[in-house]
Amino acid sequence: MFNRRTLIGAISAFALLAASAPSFAQQYDIALISKGFQHQFWQAVKAGADKAAAELDVSVTFEGPDTEAQVDRQIDMLAAALARKPSAIGFAALDSQAATPLLEQAKAAGIPVVAFDSGVDSDIPLTTATTDNVAAAALAADKMAELIGGEGKVAVVAHDQTSRTGIDRVDGFVNRIKEAYPNIEVVSVQYGGGDQLQSTEITKSILLANPDLKGIFGANEGSAIGVANGATELGSKVVIIGFDSGAAQIKAITDGVMAGAITQNPVGIGYETVAAAVKALKGEALPPVIDTGFYFYDKSNMADPEIAAVLYQ
Amino acid sequence: MSALVEMVDIDKSFPGVRALNKAKFELLAGEVHALMGENGAGKSTLMKILSGVYQRDAGSILLDGQAVDIASPRQAQDMGIGIIHQELALMRDLTAAQNIFIGREPRRMGGLLLDEAALNAQAATIFASMNLKLDPRVQVGGLTIARQQMVEIAKALSYKSRVLIMDEPTAALNDAEINELFAIIGRLKAEGVGIVYISHKMDELKRIADRVTVMRDGEYVGTVPAATTPIETIISMMVGRTLSNETPAFPDVSAAPVALDVRGLRRGREIRDVSFSVRKGEILGLAGLMGAGRTEVARAIFGADPIEAGEVFVNGEQVRISAPQDAVRAGIGYLSEDRKHFGLATGLDVRNNIALASLSRFTGPAGVLRESAMRDTAQGYIRQLAIKTPSDSQEARLLSGGNQQKVVIAKWLLRDCEVLIFDEPTRGIDVGAKSEIYKLLNALAAQGRAIIVISSELPEILRLSHRIAVMCEGRLTGFLPGGASQEDIMRLATMRPSAVAETEPNRKTA
Amino acid sequence: MDSISTETKPGLIAGIRTSGAFHKLLAFSGLIALLVVFSLASPNFMQTQNVLAILQATSVNGVLAIAATLVIITGGIDLSVGTLMTFCAVIAGVILTFLGLPLPLGVLGAILAGTAAGLVSGTIIAKLKVPPFIATLGMMLILKGLSLVISGTRPIYFNDTPGFTQIAQGSLIGSIIPALPVPNGVLILFLVAAVISFILGKTALGRYTFALGSNEEAVRLSGVNVDRWKIAVYALAGSVCGVAGLLIASRLNSAQPALGQGYELDAIAAVVIGGTSLSGGRGTVLGTLIGALIISVLANGLRILSVAQEWQTVVTGCIIILAVYADILRRRNL
Repeated sequence: MFNRRTLIGAISAFALLAASAPSFAQQYDIALISKGFQHQFWQAVKAGADKAAAELDVSVTFEGPDTEAQVDRQIDMLAAALARKPSAIGFAALDSQAATPLLEQAKAAGIPVVAFDSGVDSDIPLTTATTDNVAAAALAADKMAELIGGEGKVAVVAHDQTSRTGIDRVDGFVNRIKEAYPNIEVVSVQYGGGDQLQSTEITKSILLANPDLKGIFGANEGSAIGVANGATELGSKVVIIGFDSGAAQIKAITDGVMAGAITQNPVGIGYETVAAAVKALKGEALPPVIDTGFYFYDKSNMADPEIAAVLYQ
Repeated sequence: MSALVEMVDIDKSFPGVRALNKAKFELLAGEVHALMGENGAGKSTLMKILSGVYQRDAGSILLDGQAVDIASPRQAQDMGIGIIHQELALMRDLTAAQNIFIGREPRRMGGLLLDEAALNAQAATIFASMNLKLDPRVQVGGLTIARQQMVEIAKALSYKSRVLIMDEPTAALNDAEINELFAIIGRLKAEGVGIVYISHKMDELKRIADRVTVMRDGEYVGTVPAATTPIETIISMMVGRTLSNETPAFPDVSAAPVALDVRGLRRGREIRDVSFSVRKGEILGLAGLMGAGRTEVARAIFGADPIEAGEVFVNGEQVRISAPQDAVRAGIGYLSEDRKHFGLATGLDVRNNIALASLSRFTGPAGVLRESAMRDTAQGYIRQLAIKTPSDSQEARLLSGGNQQKVVIAKWLLRDCEVLIFDEPTRGIDVGAKSEIYKLLNALAAQGRAIIVISSELPEILRLSHRIAVMCEGRLTGFLPGGASQEDIMRLATMRPSAVAETEPNRKTA
Repeated sequence: MDSISTETKPGLIAGIRTSGAFHKLLAFSGLIALLVVFSLASPNFMQTQNVLAILQATSVNGVLAIAATLVIITGGIDLSVGTLMTFCAVIAGVILTFLGLPLPLGVLGAILAGTAAGLVSGTIIAKLKVPPFIATLGMMLILKGLSLVISGTRPIYFNDTPGFTQIAQGSLIGSIIPALPVPNGVLILFLVAAVISFILGKTALGRYTFALGSNEEAVRLSGVNVDRWKIAVYALAGSVCGVAGLLIASRLNSAQPALGQGYELDAIAAVVIGGTSLSGGRGTVLGTLIGALIISVLANGLRILSVAQEWQTVVTGCIIILAVYADILRRRNL
């Protein structure tokens, strides 16, 4: 009996804590379901969303699965968010098809949906707040070409081959090289799941297999850090262009290990998603896509206010 | 008429041990045939061969005069050979009935489903025939050892075997249960079942056995009729060896102060009111048969197992021991029976094993171990105890058994233990190393340490002990002076509780 | 001694002990407590739609946990349940989408793929004597890799098999009682639970499952072919994983080849919360079912209450430890 009472006691204590946390003012309740959570990038999106929430006086929750493979976990989160009857939903789909029935449920319940990041492959979301990943990766290709002198071998270490960002960034980079730089050859495109360690190993194997390699493009934060680590471990001076920011990547650029990186504007993604949701709730019109922008940054411009504002540590 | 079972010239070796050497055995239908011998004489091995658990290396087995091969327990069962193992072979989480019929469950629906009702009914029938009041649906893990033993017996009976092997079936039973078992044996005998009965208890043999076969060191000694052969004859057949003629000289320690005094130690059926004391410089041998409670007493003193009652005094002062660290603090060291499991970290090197119980002594201010001090200490003990090892950084598992034992001894010496309990100190150690361990024990005693030696080997007890305490079924049945005869020890070790009262006046106390 | 009570009142106490009913009672009251607390804390919790969402969220983990229960009762462990589930989903995708074969063949194929993988694990464990932890760790990686290879590392969609999503998302009950649109996935979970419960309780396979976990050597000495039965248990667990694969694929309308790793830990957590002993010999499907429900009720309820995700993880960890500690206390007191 002692045990059961302890259990119930503990649970009630948690429930009370939890219940007292959100404020009960008559404000909009916006649920953001993202593709990830612990990752620095997603935490920056969350920071942007929180910023918008404070400015616009709405309440925002932010959730995402542990890894970007856990499609069903994300669906469970979306279902629980719907059951909460929020004012609006922000959603970055891991797999658009799997989410369709729930999105239709949201539509039927009159809950506006705003897509963000890689978006949702569906006509239900009112708008999508996102980076143009193809164009961003093409910019990475241009910078790469410039830095290696327009010729030689390059490689790509990307996070995955199934997600929209993974496909767009690889295609954006590879296609730009093919079209504009005939003397540059992409010798290898490998996938490390966005995992730093795995990406490190992949980078080392690419470097060992291609001693004359000129440059590597790391297509997201984890991949880019992995590439930098792999090159450092082998003492290679290969030109590295990364993607996104984060403390490790910023340090790599400061130290000169990495030439530079493309940054999205994750804070802007979070901010614009919440702002768009509020606009929708107020009945204002929204464009089909809200481009949240991207920049190339390196040692020279990192301190510029415009860049520093979108870099996350 | 040919014998029911005839085993001829059976050989069996395990790595490093010759367990059976031209062993033989014969069993007639309707006979209770006792198989006797000291621990390690090969009785259980021989019966495991008959029941298909082990395969023989050489020799032949005849069943009804026909040569047979018994390749598995299943095959033995099919031939009508059942066995009650000495170590209980029960599934604790299953019910009594489920245990009895494991592998032969009654089925229904064309064999698809288990027929639980029939299962319980059949088990109930067997229990009824044993006069045993036990619910077939009770979970075995919750039963007393004695009841578990009865379930084992029921399981063996359920096979309707023609040959039934009982390996120490009464070890955990009380008198009423033993009477019931003997009644069952009587009925089976009348039905023509041949029963092999392994036991150390002389009084039981007299009651139920028809013939007795004695084994020693894996060899056949002889077969005698149970009724007409005096117990002394059987014991001398079992013991057999000529005692070493160099009678060791035992020092007189009767004036030395008492180092360890144990009073009224008690726990359930395993330890029943055990009291004894050991003086400084004395080696006390603790003798008894398997399951007599010797290890239990040692572990209880050491705090490794709980006790229900009892007091322990070290150097005249009472100490409260509820965990091994209390015992170690009080200066008691225990060298367990199974070195590899409990006494030695086999993966660590010799140096660390020696220092393991005294690490705080080698820990510097920042929590860093002072390796050089550890090395010096370890090397000191390696010289002192003549541990054969290439260096103190050799892994302990690479040492021979005798040298492993010395490492454990060094560990406790380093802790300054004044009382050392050795549980089977020479098990798994070759003959040459044994005498070195003996020398070491004598030297330790000469330094004034109090030593308790538990051993199943009577010659070892006799050679080492200044005084011998004998246990039977959790009781101390008597004390013998050093150099007593093996027969004396065997008599005390097989003394059933009922016999204790009669011999009480003759108890020799030191 | 504790055995005295067992002997004097065998009927009652033995019954409770053998069935593990006491622990189920404990786990069950924990579940009820959670439901009550969440209902009081949020009016949105005890809504039909949310309850159905919880059940739907339980279906995959529940089925996986049942598979894990089988193996854990034998005293083993199966770390490959998650990726085996994915592998079976991919096989269904190959049969239905790549080959365009009819739905029943896809269902059969997924379950048979699970059985085959279980046979392999079981054989490695029983015949090659590789410890279950290592053998299934290896299988976990092998199956993960094979799923990626076979699928070409891309999700396989079931758009050409119209009935496929009905396996988990349709509602047979809802078509009869419109007010109660219980998804078929939930129905399948309870069906699997009933079947495996039945096998554990009534068939020889079930009996040997418990016996193996209780004392494998004793079973061997009783003349039972231990290896064969052990392999059979792993094969059965594998086919249950096949069902889980179908459920998740139907729910997502796709076989996601990268998914699955990490799911084995959730399954094992559900098993443990449900009172099955990791040392083997004891356990019930009903307990596991309750354990799986506790996990999803907790996740859902905390989300409804807008508890930050970081804290949700902390609370779940606490509940697992509490549940097992309660079990230890119970056994000490009894």
